[in-house]
Amino acid sequence: MQDLSSLPIKGINDPWKTGIKNGWDVIDGRTVSADRTLEADVAIIGTGAGGAVSAEILTQRGLKVILIEAGKLMSSDDFTLNEGQAYRDLYQEGAMRATKDAGMTILQGRTVGGTTVVNWTSSFRTPSETLQYWRDTFGVESQSRSELDPWFQKMEARLNISKWIMPPNANNDVLKKGCDALGWEWAVIPRNVEGCWNIGYCGMGCPTNAKQSMLVTTLPSAMNHGATLIHSAQAHRLLIDGDTVTGVEVRPLNNDKVPTGATVTVKAKTVIASGGGIQSPALLMRSEAPDPQGRVGKRTFLHPTTFTFGIYDQEVAPYYGAPQSLYSDEFVFKHGVDGPAGYKLEMMPMHPGLTGALMGGYGGDARHEIERLPNLASSIALIRDGFHADNPGGTVELRDNGEPVLDYPMNDYLLDAAKRTHLTMAEMHFAAGAKEIRPSHAHAGYYKSWQEARDAINSLAYDPVITGVGSAHVMGGCAMGQDESQCVVNSDGSYKYLNGLYVIDGSVFPTSLGVNPQLTIYGMSARNATALADRLKA
Amino acid sequence: MDQGLNRRSFLKLGAAGSAFLAAGSSLTLLTGCASNDGPAAGYRHFRQQDVDLLTPLVGAVLGKALTDVGATAEDGMKAYDDLLEGAMPGTRATLFQILDLMQLGAARWFITGTWASFAEQSEDELQQTLAHWSTSERGLSRMAFKGLTQPMFMAWYVKPEAARSTGYPGPPQKIVA
Repeated sequence: MQDLSSLPIKGINDPWKTGIKNGWDVIDGRTVSADRTLEADVAIIGTGAGGAVSAEILTQRGLKVILIEAGKLMSSDDFTLNEGQAYRDLYQEGAMRATKDAGMTILQGRTVGGTTVVNWTSSFRTPSETLQYWRDTFGVESQSRSELDPWFQKMEARLNISKWIMPPNANNDVLKKGCDALGWEWAVIPRNVEGCWNIGYCGMGCPTNAKQSMLVTTLPSAMNHGATLIHSAQAHRLLIDGDTVTGVEVRPLNNDKVPTGATVTVKAKTVIASGGGIQSPALLMRSEAPDPQGRVGKRTFLHPTTFTFGIYDQEVAPYYGAPQSLYSDEFVFKHGVDGPAGYKLEMMPMHPGLTGALMGGYGGDARHEIERLPNLASSIALIRDGFHADNPGGTVELRDNGEPVLDYPMNDYLLDAAKRTHLTMAEMHFAAGAKEIRPSHAHAGYYKSWQEARDAINSLAYDPVITGVGSAHVMGGCAMGQDESQCVVNSDGSYKYLNGLYVIDGSVFPTSLGVNPQLTIYGMSARNATALADRLKA
Repeated sequence: MDQGLNRRSFLKLGAAGSAFLAAGSSLTLLTGCASNDGPAAGYRHFRQQDVDLLTPLVGAVLGKALTDVGATAEDGMKAYDDLLEGAMPGTRATLFQILDLMQLGAARWFITGTWASFAEQSEDELQQTLAHWSTSERGLSRMAFKGLTQPMFMAWYVKPEAARSTGYPGPPQKIVA
């Protein structure tokens, strides 16, 4: 039996403790009780993939940057591998974020470093089919695959991205075995790690600093170049004078995420919104930023992700080992770019809290199900959303208190895809030797053969909420492109209707990607932040 | 029933459910069922009426997950409260809205199929209620079932002792100098 519970992790240097000791300018919003004003060349709202890459590039060019982050500063000394603490401290809404009708659960980071602190390290370049679709459909300019490749290359080098060289864990090996048996293509996932211990806790904050998240790469670099970080502080509104952005009204938050009552006014001629999907559009909405076509918050995409459990005779230990190391693109463009939705196959790590939530059910059956965790493998299918007229995506709305909520019902187009993913994953698990499988559907049971599973899946009602769907990839809401009927951001990241405002994060994607989004955000952000630095230094 | 008909009837029920939720919330406000006296003793977020309402349900939903490690429904309820710690105020407000609604017998009947409060049901009756509720075709029932029970599992199984009871040996030991 695999058991890492006595493995000591010690002697790890926490770069933030060292950095703060050496003079990094970090303001903890929880301690701010009096109003104050800060000034910078550039204010960046959000410290995830978009904001942190931008901060490194802009500070390297000598610009004064203030980073504003709603989440807390947590670093390797704080990453205790306790699943509950990770959800509470590192995830949006304590990992309880869901779409408005509870149909899809959303795992998204909320901490210094954003989702890069908790993602599973999969790093793919944007498919050329997706970029071509953006050019043809939304008028995205100068972002073909050949134009972006140098930026991907730059970020791959910066974040040590390369194909995982260790053997896959047993969970990922299921994908290889199943695909091999069925003649489906599969390949090794490139990961942004350096000296990875292969223990499996990417989703709880890397305890060894092997993951090359923003927390250990671009953010320390920006801090060394004189950036100021204010964390535990929510960018409440943009300050707008006529048609020009002049800064940001920031509300420091206490430990309970409630405003302390103080206001920090950040004055800057250039403001970059890098809050990611959901947060960036919500900021624009709270700010009543001009939006003549009413497009802010629209076209929000999630890669609606279904899953299928397989039970195996041999131990799988899906909680240990690099969480994602193999993938299959057999079905991603099977019906072309804009036909019935395609999907990417990967595996997901399973720790008990997440497992219990995804299994659902109640009583004795639910208990029996989770007791088989050591022998469980879990495949996922990321559905490419946003490439069809029947799939315009979700809409960000504001609650009465200004918090965002995403309205994104699973419609027939997506539910049809969900059913196809379940058939595919059931077939894959049985081809890999599974004894039983269960698709992510509240009314599904465990099925003991591919034939039984196929018949059962074909007779299940694919309705919202009971079809188990989650998301770890929030994209869109501030679509980029020249088509003003749909898009609010130009291809260089500038907001169409305000001077001085840029959006540099995953919210600018006009559709989903078809791959895990981090490398796309890194590459596009590096491109647009570099062009912005050129303009500001001209 | 073909898929299209299923979808249409679902949407219709979903819309009716939303209207019911809105009306019910107003009613609970009028009748004072939505009184907010702050968190119950020993809790950070759940109010006393939530604790009274939900604790028997937590016991029935988690069942052996609790008893196998010598825990009680109250332990499960406290874990649920801990989970809410990470939520935003608006996330909690949405949860409280549905809990307020379920203070009403009519709402419990509409959502779960049973008028009686969970505390008034025997163990067998609660399992029957859950069997009915979890297979309901009503949009609001489905939302409420998932919205209320899914966090119970997450809340409980993130607790180290409960986590180890699944066969998961636990995480490596992080040692900070």
